[in-house]
Amino acid sequence: MTAALMLDGLAVDFSGFRAVDGVSMAVAQGELRVLLGANGAGKTTLMDLISGKTRATEGKVLVQGRDVTGLREHRIARAGVGRKFQIPSVFSGLTLRQNLEVAQSRRPSVWSNLRFALGMSEKARLAEVLELIGLEAEAGREAGLLSHGQTQWLELGMLMIQDASVILLDEPTAGMTQGETAKTAEIINRLKGRHTLLVVEHDMAFVRDIAERITVLHLGRVLAEGSVAFIENHPEVKAAYLGKQGIA
Amino acid sequence: MAGPLANYRFWAYAGLAVLLLALPLVGDEFWLNRVAKYLCYGMLGAAVALTWGYAGVLNLGQGLFFGIGAYAMAMGLKLKSYTSLQQGSDQPVPDFMLWNAQPGAPTELCCITPGSWLWLPFQWQWTGVIVAVVLPVLLAGIMGRIIFGQRISGVFVSIITLALVLLVRLVVVDAQPLTNGFNGLTDLGWLTVAGHEFDPYAKGTYYLVAVALILVLGLSRILVATRAGTILQATRDSDTRALYLGYDVPAYQTFFFAVSAGIAGLAGMLYVIVSEFASPSFLELSFSITMVVWAAVGGRGSILGAAVGAILINMIEARVSETEALVEAWKAIIGLLFVVTVIYLPKGLSGLAHDGIARLRMRRPALRLKEEAGQ
Ligand SMILES: Nc1ncnc2c1ncn2[C@@H]1O[C@H](COP(=O)(O)OP(=O)(O)OP(=O)(O)O)[C@@H](O)[C@H]1O
Ligand SMILES: [Mg+2]
Repeated sequence: MTAALMLDGLAVDFSGFRAVDGVSMAVAQGELRVLLGANGAGKTTLMDLISGKTRATEGKVLVQGRDVTGLREHRIARAGVGRKFQIPSVFSGLTLRQNLEVAQSRRPSVWSNLRFALGMSEKARLAEVLELIGLEAEAGREAGLLSHGQTQWLELGMLMIQDASVILLDEPTAGMTQGETAKTAEIINRLKGRHTLLVVEHDMAFVRDIAERITVLHLGRVLAEGSVAFIENHPEVKAAYLGKQGIA
Repeated sequence: MAGPLANYRFWAYAGLAVLLLALPLVGDEFWLNRVAKYLCYGMLGAAVALTWGYAGVLNLGQGLFFGIGAYAMAMGLKLKSYTSLQQGSDQPVPDFMLWNAQPGAPTELCCITPGSWLWLPFQWQWTGVIVAVVLPVLLAGIMGRIIFGQRISGVFVSIITLALVLLVRLVVVDAQPLTNGFNGLTDLGWLTVAGHEFDPYAKGTYYLVAVALILVLGLSRILVATRAGTILQATRDSDTRALYLGYDVPAYQTFFFAVSAGIAGLAGMLYVIVSEFASPSFLELSFSITMVVWAAVGGRGSILGAAVGAILINMIEARVSETEALVEAWKAIIGLLFVVTVIYLPKGLSGLAHDGIARLRMRRPALRLKEEAGQ
């Protein structure tokens, strides 16, 4: 079976500084992969390369076996890559329901969207996702009025309904309370299987909750890859987190 | 939730339509002619709301599209004017071209002044009508592709559009032999459709403009209610989010930019039919900024609100201008009005109405339940 997401020698050169320096990895269908690494290790940049925000100077990105390297952002998105940024971004002037509707539209061109009604199956899916993210009661509210946690969940919901085969999540629990983090872990666990996920996260308790396999980045390179237990006891990983007595 | 509150938007549009169509019952021709001009401004308000309110793109050069519409129509009507037929040629030739012609130039539209051949297609009045709408749409399409395609946004779009309208104004003023420069195109003929002449002071002409405005408002409202309209608003709130959902954001921005340009072109065209002149003042910066003020006061988030804002402000202005002393003061008043709305009423008058209705709805038990379920 082809890997859902395959990176082959991916690198970017910021005028001499290689923020990502030859990263290769394969994420299987339905797998949830956690990306660990100290500040500045290149995690966000790696996601930028996959999603097309930054152009890779070397290497390839394959999504479901299809080469998407160098395509423009919206084309990569249509090839099945969904992305959540470090700072949550939703459509603040639209209602929650409209946010999901926008994310749901299968046909991206202007002309094919000059119509109104959602199909029955689309409506059903929308209701299902609202329930999954636990925001049914807020469906008619303007997204700009949601709390920080709710905004993050809405954004997760948008990725679900977008039906991206590969979802990139950059620090989904940043700034969340413990309760909110637990709920987020629950939502993310439900995404497994149906979607393939690549998640950047610092909070180790959270990582233990969701992770199967972990890839550790250090100075733009893959330092280690393996199960949670393997990574936690990996000497080089401990050394990379120097001064922090291993991973917290 | 049935009842008038649920559908208050529809009733607001319907109410305005009825009001506009009923006005000829109460006013004389001169007043109607003046109101018809304001209705053209109403279209401009709606056009500004479409880009500014719905797309988050503040076009400070909307006058460019209005001007193109106006000049295209005026060229067509100039060739129908009595004076154009009096220049001793079997084809009509605009009088000002003779005044600007080199000695010995033939009195023919093809070659009387450099570039005068550009006028040839306008001997058919419908050329003017078509060019008035199509050229703004095409131009906006190209501008949009370039500006939005380069991911230019915010204040930079405003600066580019502003610079462009000023540039075109310079060209128009400069091309005296072709455009009559500073004086603009005056002394125009009337649009004739199937034998009916649109006398600017006839009720038929008022109805033409009123129906056009009603259609423009209705269709624009429907357009923003489609999924494409929702997606456009999404690009306004976060273009990166929309991009990463797979939308070609520049395509959406360009599409609505072009629609807005088409509306402005139509407004310019109708304005010329009503006012019988086209002038480079349409291309002045102050005019484009005035449109933005109308939309801000009426409410840029509402097509209807922006149009009503434009119409009301102009009606008030006309009243105020009757008193000599207030003519100058009006400029200060309008500036003040703008500042006050921007600070205290960012959603304009329509936002005020909207919130009022929302408050009324909240009193209903069914909705209060929903409120409690939230937080
Ligand atoms: N466009 C750019 N130009 C130059 N340097 C960049 C650019 N983008 C990122 N970098 C650098 O690349 C390195 C990796 O940054 P990146 O944001 O990927 O780190 P990260 O692993 O996400 O860190 P954090 O945990 O702090 O989010 C940093 O040193 C950053 O300064
Ligand atoms: Mg980062």
